[in-house]
Amino acid sequence: MSAIAGRTWQARLAQTLAEGGVEAAAWVPDKRLAPIASALEAGDTTVRTLTREEECFGWAAGFRAAGGTPLVLLQCSGLGNSLNAIGSLVVPYGLGFPVVISMRGSLGERNPSQLPLGRSTIGMLDLLGIQSFSLRSAEHVDVVVHGALGVADGARALAPIILEPELDL
Amino acid sequence: MNPTQAARALLAAAPDALFVSSLGTATSALRAASDDGPHLYMGGSMGSALATALGVADKRAERRVVAVLGDGELLMGAGSLWTLGGMRPPNLLAAVLADGHYSITGGQALGTPEAFAAAADALGLQAAVARTEADVERQVNELVWPALIEISVDEREWPGSSPFVDPPVVRWRFENAATTAAR
Repeated sequence: MSAIAGRTWQARLAQTLAEGGVEAAAWVPDKRLAPIASALEAGDTTVRTLTREEECFGWAAGFRAAGGTPLVLLQCSGLGNSLNAIGSLVVPYGLGFPVVISMRGSLGERNPSQLPLGRSTIGMLDLLGIQSFSLRSAEHVDVVVHGALGVADGARALAPIILEPELDL
Repeated sequence: MNPTQAARALLAAAPDALFVSSLGTATSALRAASDDGPHLYMGGSMGSALATALGVADKRAERRVVAVLGDGELLMGAGSLWTLGGMRPPNLLAAVLADGHYSITGGQALGTPEAFAAAADALGLQAAVARTEADVERQVNELVWPALIEISVDEREWPGSSPFVDPPVVRWRFENAATTAAR
């Protein structure tokens, strides 16, 4: 793992999100997201383990509608499970919050079953009118997280951060 | 009991609560019963209403939260019933309008047993079946939350209010209600 000032980029990502106002997170467990979830919990951010990615978006929509700043962590394959909650709740109700998406089915993928949803992740978001923000390097954690939080809070839009395969996992 | 009477009984029993309603009958009934009060009405996102109520309850731990759910709705997001059993927010009540039908799509029958209270009980939640408005009002305050009330809706009457809400208006009114102290 690459480290900045003795910390992994995952720890820095979690800390920057928490310092930026994220109060609680929801996820369906994923190996690549686990270090981020652990770092959030270590920093006293509640992490809810839910049953389906769509449920995470519903939970976050409610948390946001009640005046809070939630975070959703998901593997890109879970985006397929979430499209209706995003398209008919999060987007029309103007509920902006940050999302961290770990990529499968992309550069280096060896499982054929992962490819179609990995290949279409950005396209599905784009079709729903959602701009996504790529994170390819540990040195860009701060700028990408701050920018995504600005979009979520200020522009009230869903702000997905894509953890690209170039990152050390 | 018809859906509007069920919603009215819930409002009477928990007048201070934040309400979330699933698409279709539940939203129409809650709008009709509350004179279009500042609740989180869903216009779509079938299967996500209980999850959304869990998020509201998480953020507003000091407030009571009631999820008014269609039966088909709860089936589509049944995992959230398991989450309710795991997360156990002490401020959340799930109220299922159980009429055995998908009303907004034309009244087709569900293909499953009406066993919502039994399922909630198996998950360690307090649960009851309500057959009258008096049952609803009593159970809301007698059950220890998190709890589930399966409301037997035997009059399948469309409440009247449109279920097609204006989302930004709903969000704005609800956020104001959720971020100001209960009366």
